[in-house]
Amino acid sequence: MSHKYIPVIWNRTKIVYDIVAVACIAAYLGVYLYVAPLFQTVTLPIDALIYRAQAYGTCVFFLLTVILCIGPLSRLDTRFLPLLYNRRHLGVMTACLAVVHVKYILDWYYAFSPTDRYVAVLASNTSYFQFLGFPFEVLGLAALLILLVLATTSHDFWLHFLGPPLWKTLHMGIYFAYALVVFHVALGALQSAAGPVIPLVVGASASLVITLHLLAARKERSTENDVPLEADDTPWVVVGDPMQIPNKRAQIVALKEDERVAVFRDGDKVSAISNVCAHQNGPLGEGKIVYGCVTCPWHGYQYRVEDGCSPPPFTEKVPTYRLKLKGNLLLLDPIALPAGTYIEPVVVGGVHAAEKA
Amino acid sequence: MQQKKPKGKPDPFFIGWAKKPPKLLQGFLFFVSAVLVGGAAGVAFSIGASVPDPGNGTFLWSAGYQTMTGVVEAKPYPVLRLPPSEPGGEPRALLLSGVGKRGVQGLAGPLDGKQVDAGGVLLKRGTIEMLQVGGQVKLRAAETPLNSFEPQPAEDLGRWRLSGEVCDGKCYVGAMRPGVGLAHKACANLCLIGGVPPVFVSTSPVDGSSFFLLADAQGNPVPEDLYDLTALFISLEGEIERRDDLLIFKADLTTAKRL
Repeated sequence: MSHKYIPVIWNRTKIVYDIVAVACIAAYLGVYLYVAPLFQTVTLPIDALIYRAQAYGTCVFFLLTVILCIGPLSRLDTRFLPLLYNRRHLGVMTACLAVVHVKYILDWYYAFSPTDRYVAVLASNTSYFQFLGFPFEVLGLAALLILLVLATTSHDFWLHFLGPPLWKTLHMGIYFAYALVVFHVALGALQSAAGPVIPLVVGASASLVITLHLLAARKERSTENDVPLEADDTPWVVVGDPMQIPNKRAQIVALKEDERVAVFRDGDKVSAISNVCAHQNGPLGEGKIVYGCVTCPWHGYQYRVEDGCSPPPFTEKVPTYRLKLKGNLLLLDPIALPAGTYIEPVVVGGVHAAEKA
Repeated sequence: MQQKKPKGKPDPFFIGWAKKPPKLLQGFLFFVSAVLVGGAAGVAFSIGASVPDPGNGTFLWSAGYQTMTGVVEAKPYPVLRLPPSEPGGEPRALLLSGVGKRGVQGLAGPLDGKQVDAGGVLLKRGTIEMLQVGGQVKLRAAETPLNSFEPQPAEDLGRWRLSGEVCDGKCYVGAMRPGVGLAHKACANLCLIGGVPPVFVSTSPVDGSSFFLLADAQGNPVPEDLYDLTALFISLEGEIERRDDLLIFKADLTTAKRL
């Protein structure tokens, strides 16, 4: 959490995260560039710049795969949430490596020509209406532009400037970039320059991304609460038995396709706030009450459960919802209150529960 | 989403800005980190060690700057016809290119059929050679013409249908490794646009050679339509002629089929 802009707010977790990320990249590039050539069965080595371009290009592909796997993995197993915390740094590193990949390509395949190398990228192969032979370079170029936009706007300044919904939508472009990269590789390297391993690994990577997303979606659908309306005139929806909500944790109630409410229990008190974190739209309902505040599982943004406000000096707010008890059933008013509206928690269990009923 | 945890079971919760991750998560995170680093190294090794052989084409920088005298033929692309290098030897035909992705049509055209001095660096792939013309001599009328050297007339080898790939002659011969395949298509086109001779690399040899200088059916430079076919596996029909050790495939581009 931050109430002012600093280029990068470092903490121990981020430093360790970046060390591991750099170690992964260094291991990949180091082995690819300096160890693997010792075991190649080639008459003469591949040109150094082409080989480096392959190393950086494949590294970018696998980093993108990892980045896209982190989200669904975290939904399937919360132990992976720490991988999500600093994913933006991973994205920026990926964009930088993609630039290096393009630089090697430009400096070799598109160099030494009377045609300007930047013009040549678009002009040398214009077979846009055929599948094999399609200028796959433009797919990579489009993916690079997306990665650069995402890397540039990854800072919280842009998050606040654009607003979380727009920022989030923009950053969903990573999926489009990944699809472009898959086709870039499939129509380029896989058609000729690749060895026998890379088609397998690329296919497995793309399949893994798709499978994990499907599994996460299925899990989310199966664990979301149904929202039967109450029988009387009022449009309250049934949450269920409040004591079934684990202490300090939440039950997520899906009201509409794009609106979810996190109903938290803190001892004998229950409160409801929006499931959407004001920071990056993280799922607050998968968070936990820590130090008396709902803590987002993604980046640790915190909100008081009674009014949806971040504790001072922070200024983030999320909408709150009314709750009431009817017998042992907890009911939720599906009409969101303005962000930051204080709502007295509903006391559940024993005498208090009976009184509220 | 309901977080169902059995009573009494620890419920570790990671907060990024906390001093340390929960103890229960530390071992798991260490394990994941080790798997990621090890996996990265393993995948890199698997891919890097299994790259296909790009062939033995290369610049012969170690041979130094070469000068040779012969007869230049400008069509379909500049070729230098050389006399036998030793008594009893065979005459040779050498493909010519400029420095970088450039041809030497501009230099060869006015000298077509004449004896020339050519200077530059050789490229070689197997028995195929190309001279990258440049340096001090470049391509000029021969200062000391060879006595009584006349290239042999072209020998007609008949009509053939060949399967293979259209490449640019320079990258294939060794300017780039690998210099073939779809990953190299844009580079190949750029070379052809610059005037580098196109070649056809066949899957089966004709008269001992799988490498052909490509021309259109009339023996002229190929049209730009060819750029859509470069680097693809295709079949082509046409007449083949021999000039010394170089075969020229005068392909009828209307017979091109993608295989």
